[in-house]
Amino acid sequence: MKGIVFNLLEEAVSAAHGVDAWADLIDAAGVSGVYTSLGSYPDDDMTALVQSAANLLGCPENDILHWFGRAAMPLLAQRYGDFFKGHATARSFVLSVNAIIHPEVRKLYSGAGCPHFHFEDAADGALLIGYRSPRKLCHLAHGFVQGASDHYGEEAAIEHLQCMLEGHPLCRMAVRWS
Amino acid sequence: MPNGGTLELMKHFVPDTGQSSEFRVARLERQLLRERSARLEAEAIAERGLRELYEQKQWLLLLQRVTKGANEADDIAEAFALSLREVCIQMGWDFGNAYLIDSGTREAVACDVWYAEEPDRLFAFIDASRQIRFTSGIGLPGRVLRDSRPHWILDVRDDEGFLRRSEAKRCGIKSGCAFPIVIKDETVGLFEFFSSRTVMATDDLLATMAQISSQLGRVVERDRARRALLHDASHDALTGLPNRALLAERCARAAADLSSNGQGVGILVIDLDGFKAVNDRFGHHAGDSLIRALGERLRGVVELFQRESDPNWPAERVTLSRTGGDEFVVLLDGLADRSWVDDLTGRIHKAFERPFYIGSSEVKLAASIGFALSDTGRCDVNQLLRDADLAMYEAKSEGRGRTIEFNEELGEVIRNRRQLEHELRLAIRDCQFRLFYQPIIDMRAGTELRGYEALVRWQHPERGLVSPAEFVPIAEEAGLMSFIGGWVLHEACDALARLHAMGEAHSRRFISINVAPMQFLQPNFAAQVRRTLMRTGVRPESLKLEITEGVAIIDPVRTAKVLAEVREWGVQTSLDDFGTGYSSLSYLQNLPFDTIKIDKSFIDDLTSKRSQDIVRAILDLARSMELSVVAEGIETEAQRAILEQLGCPFAQGYLYGRPVCEEQAFAL
Repeated sequence: MKGIVFNLLEEAVSAAHGVDAWADLIDAAGVSGVYTSLGSYPDDDMTALVQSAANLLGCPENDILHWFGRAAMPLLAQRYGDFFKGHATARSFVLSVNAIIHPEVRKLYSGAGCPHFHFEDAADGALLIGYRSPRKLCHLAHGFVQGASDHYGEEAAIEHLQCMLEGHPLCRMAVRWS
Repeated sequence: MPNGGTLELMKHFVPDTGQSSEFRVARLERQLLRERSARLEAEAIAERGLRELYEQKQWLLLLQRVTKGANEADDIAEAFALSLREVCIQMGWDFGNAYLIDSGTREAVACDVWYAEEPDRLFAFIDASRQIRFTSGIGLPGRVLRDSRPHWILDVRDDEGFLRRSEAKRCGIKSGCAFPIVIKDETVGLFEFFSSRTVMATDDLLATMAQISSQLGRVVERDRARRALLHDASHDALTGLPNRALLAERCARAAADLSSNGQGVGILVIDLDGFKAVNDRFGHHAGDSLIRALGERLRGVVELFQRESDPNWPAERVTLSRTGGDEFVVLLDGLADRSWVDDLTGRIHKAFERPFYIGSSEVKLAASIGFALSDTGRCDVNQLLRDADLAMYEAKSEGRGRTIEFNEELGEVIRNRRQLEHELRLAIRDCQFRLFYQPIIDMRAGTELRGYEALVRWQHPERGLVSPAEFVPIAEEAGLMSFIGGWVLHEACDALARLHAMGEAHSRRFISINVAPMQFLQPNFAAQVRRTLMRTGVRPESLKLEITEGVAIIDPVRTAKVLAEVREWGVQTSLDDFGTGYSSLSYLQNLPFDTIKIDKSFIDDLTSKRSQDIVRAILDLARSMELSVVAEGIETEAQRAILEQLGCPFAQGYLYGRPVCEEQAFAL
């Protein structure tokens, strides 16, 4: 996993719980804690950090991931404002992930394993998002969509129709903005 | 630390342990913050560098792929297709389309080479684009063509000058750009790209596209050079018409198609009459320009013929080619109607009716045409070409401006003639000729033998004796007569030497030989006669040379000169076949003959008063001009009696003896 994700997590945790919380989390997870945006680090480090956070806060890991996704969005908007500028709605922003955001990510961080999202318009106006990744970070994606909606000042209702974590071959979410 | 002095100085900066730990923590936190900021800044700098590197690498990779593809592509279309695809993928553009510039109209013409990631979605726009053409200044391609630089349309929906707006709207296309493909300063093609997103020009993009453009320019240049080479190799440099090689290729294709499509193939061989004279008179340069003008005229005739015969007849199936100096061949592949050939030959002959001009001199040419058509029995196209060639020679032998169609009988006649010609050459090499001798007698002294006419026979190894009537015309046509004539001269003189060695009576006899026009007009004929006389040592007076009026007609001045020269040495000269042909009295007056020979046809008819009158007139004329006379072909006693009565001095014919071999003749 790219170092930038760890950096974002550090920022989000420090912002929410203070700088010492990140040091405590590093110690609890037993990971090295040395992360730079230019490097790549074991996926297991992220798993350990999320598990430790869940233990420390007494909540499910999925909630931690969801929280992280949502909290990371303002930080991303700060760092990579250009990606957000061209869009008036969260829907438009989310739809640009495959074509613009991820290609740009690959330019910055060679070898980044960005997931590909499948988008589809449901008959009722919902956006159907299909996700498949061996990392099974659907809840992080979930949080990102929520965070994006926050950015554009929208309410998003996200329904997990099926989930890899429950043995389905892929995750499907329906997003309804209001 | 390298030395104690510096250590000493450094001691002043060691934190005072007396300070409170709170103060120290605060200072460490500030330091940590600075470190973090420094790290973030370092990361940002590195990220910017990485991003630039990445992009540059992508541009280089794109250029590399395009260059490699362009070098490996077999043709322009392949190189264009590959480049469009690479650029579209790299840029995330939806559609790329290629144009070539029509060198004639200077229009940008879409060449149906394009790339689209999702062709279905863009169908309407692709369909409107793949065969469209633009003049300079019109539409996006026209702007590039006019300015020879890239052009962008940020939103095609707002651009009034964008012609395919409605299709673009329907397909969700938002913006487009186009780049020229150039060789040096010439725009030879262009690429246009479209996207459903806004595409922006960046320096890197422009620089890369410029390099791609020059790569593809090279492909176009290479293709042009290849075409020029192919054209040169397959076309005649003088007329620009297909040459023999291309004709052979088209013939091979015609042959391959012949059995399957059932349509006919016709081949015309056209040979100019009188072209050599033009070359001789005006020089080769003029001859070349004449051939060029003629090529143009024939091209026009054939093209019009093709269009009017069948507008759907594919151009490359009617081939007018120049196959030799003044020889043209027309291949008609897919000949639906036999009468078309008559139509075409008629048009060709008509095209020669108008004169050509060399400078201000008018030149009249004609063409001899031979043609051959395929039928159920004959479908070897190369054989057709040979047959048409034979027919052309036959047409030529019949005079100017003729057309002859090849048929089997003609083929048979020509094949026999060719065979005979071949055998004649062997005969000359192997000395298969014999001289036979027919007595010539003096009628005034009973039947005194005064000499012989030497007559050549061909002792053919298989066919036996072949008469001159059969082989002389062929030998003349094949240019072999002077060789045979030369042998006759030598042999006759050798025979004279043998004859004269036989005794006193024999030594007064002469031998008369026939000299063919071609032999007589050879520049060294007189010298040849002289050399032979010197070699054999025979008396010149005992050799008589018989020539026909034909020689005098061809070149009277030269004939007179040669006759005078040989007569100076004492050689006798004789005008053969007198009374036939032109028999102009002026020949007799101007040409130095000793003897005239009355043609056999008058003798055959000698019982008629009219023939008697003619013979009498000839004899009177000869007497007054002091010429001797020999009557030829006397077969009956009655003929002899009349001639004797008319006072004819010499006679020759079956009545006195047939031509026989030397041994028998000299024994008389």
